Amino acid sequence: MAAEPKKIIIDTDPGIDDAMAILVALQSPEVEVIGLTTIYGNVYTTLATRNALHLLEIAGRTDIPVAEGSHVTITCSPAILTIYNNVFYLIMDKGSKLRIADFVHGTDGLGNQNFPAPNGKPIEQNAAEFLVEQASLYPGKVTVVALGPLTNIALAIQSDPAFVKNIGQIVVLGGAFSVNGNVNPAAEANIFGDPDAADIVFTSGADVLAVGINVTHQVVLTDSDLDELAKCNGKFAKYLDKILGVYFGYHHDAYSIKGLSLAKLAFLVYYLVHACCSDFTGTGTHIGVFLHDPTALLAAVDPSLITYTEGVVRVQTIGITRGLTLFYNKQKRFVQQGVQVLKSLVAQKMGQLVQE
Amino acid sequence: MSNCDDGLVCPNNCSAKQREKIIIDTDPGIDDSMTILMAFQTPEVEIIGLTTIFGNVTTKDATRNALLLCEAAGYPYVPVAEGSPEPLKRGEPRVADFVHGSDGLGNLFLPSPNSKKIDKSASEFLVEKVSEYPGEVSILALGPLTNLALAVKRDSTFASKVKRVVVLGGSFFALGNVNPAAEANIYGDPEAADVVFTSGANIDIVGINITTQVKLKDDDLEELKQSEGKHAKFLYDMCKFYRDWHVKSDGVYGIFLHDPVSFVALVRPELFTFKKGVVRVETQGICVGHTLMDQGLKKWNTSNPWTDYSPVSVTWTVDVDKVLNYIKKTLMKP
Repeated sequence: MAAEPKKIIIDTDPGIDDAMAILVALQSPEVEVIGLTTIYGNVYTTLATRNALHLLEIAGRTDIPVAEGSHVTITCSPAILTIYNNVFYLIMDKGSKLRIADFVHGTDGLGNQNFPAPNGKPIEQNAAEFLVEQASLYPGKVTVVALGPLTNIALAIQSDPAFVKNIGQIVVLGGAFSVNGNVNPAAEANIFGDPDAADIVFTSGADVLAVGINVTHQVVLTDSDLDELAKCNGKFAKYLDKILGVYFGYHHDAYSIKGLSLAKLAFLVYYLVHACCSDFTGTGTHIGVFLHDPTALLAAVDPSLITYTEGVVRVQTIGITRGLTLFYNKQKRFVQQGVQVLKSLVAQKMGQLVQE
Repeated sequence: MSNCDDGLVCPNNCSAKQREKIIIDTDPGIDDSMTILMAFQTPEVEIIGLTTIFGNVTTKDATRNALLLCEAAGYPYVPVAEGSPEPLKRGEPRVADFVHGSDGLGNLFLPSPNSKKIDKSASEFLVEKVSEYPGEVSILALGPLTNLALAVKRDSTFASKVKRVVVLGGSFFALGNVNPAAEANIYGDPEAADVVFTSGANIDIVGINITTQVKLKDDDLEELKQSEGKHAKFLYDMCKFYRDWHVKSDGVYGIFLHDPVSFVALVRPELFTFKKGVVRVETQGICVGHTLMDQGLKKWNTSNPWTDYSPVSVTWTVDVDKVLNYIKKTLMKP
């Protein structure tokens, strides 16, 4: 852990579990958060920016820049002007009405707490510009942790051909690999938010690590974990406990989640121990919430926590299975650089970490 | 699911009960041929007709092969109704002659059959038989589902009158065999498959995620050759071409038993487990032919293309040893 901290940019739509991921990242010495970029998803982009600024103020890290991202899907964006027979066409997508998951995260995205407006402002650059700039400033050194729809990342790829080479790794929270989705049976929410952008990112040739809900559904924070979180003296524990209320309510209604084993929870717990409180054990076995975003973040922080398999991922962009992520690893020739899909968590490693 | 009440799974009782009426919709095809010959050797079922479809061969060749197989089995009077030459919407079909040989029967190039197909089309025949014996006819569908979709469209009561449809098709939460997204039978006519799966009929789907678990290996084929089975030599000869393709394509020294496994799911459902859920088929884009099942693990926030359709049964697990034994025993029956 003595190595230089890994530079990360979190592309985010906070969002309750986004908030957790951001706070965990800020408390992790292994990483240096060099910026937040915002995107629609759990909330509209404008509110995502506001919430990102708010979270940085809560954390006392107003030194970290926030770059506002796209307000619309990539097929709706003017960047998709295309030339055909010397005529400019603006490709419009009738299916590009944004899907905003405020029923999961509350109308303010943070569990209906209606926090006061932040004092800070986003930087002048937009998200894609910021991503491109930072990647070229620190070639091979910057990891993007993408916790929302992939519009900003796709725009960065399109605006700078060198971006896929300059960027270190793109860790994507998204997709449902060989399991049902969470928006509908075919699609996971982040990919469904902008399937065209996702297909651009997955086929770009960049080093992409996709963390699907097939993995994040294994990582559940339970009711009794939450109780413990509420009681402890961690820096952000009370705050997280507050905003988690709405998220819990949604999960109770939509899923019949029973808490999973401690082993599955252990690696998250390790970080909560650091970030939140010193005596957190996480032994709960009751109803709980999925920790999508923190899981993806931790995959970026410490890849040894996870195992993955390599192959090609494509995203279906039309039809009833729009947003479906399809993974193909049958051929071994994709070994060099491809999409790495998390398959399972390495329980042993997690155990070690918790004991450290 | 079928149980003892319908006489299917009680071999001891079978003689006392009526035999299960079945129609096999088929594109023979090597594993189709195995299945048809198996079915004729199975006393619990009465084959009341074959309907033909494109897939492993063209529909015309499928008809010819179906007639040949009825003759070889000693049932030349079983009606064979020719089906659609092409899918509902996609024109000229894709034919897998590289898997089954240009004649569909492993390039044995058998002489023409003496018997003739009936005048009715496959969908007419299906509708007629199902309304003649409502609730009694099961259909084993071994190819693209065009004929069944046409029957559903032709008669709005077809879906409720058919006893059960066992479909070989799709790949659930697993790779396809045409491409990563799609299995061959569903890919052959995705629109038809979606019509059938959403028709409300009592449907059991056997995907290749199940059938590829059951292999007849080289030594099993050798055992078949040495056996007293009524059709052992013919089956062995026919399987050579199919086997060689498996070596090339999948590195399997033997053959997958897609169609025979589906037949076993019809007559011995207790050797499988099933999960219920709505299944839809993608008809557009790069995932055309993809079968997607809602496992019902989540209450959806809004309606989606899966809501409001009747669930079907998807084969979830298979007792590989017992199914393989059943198939071997039937193939080796004198």
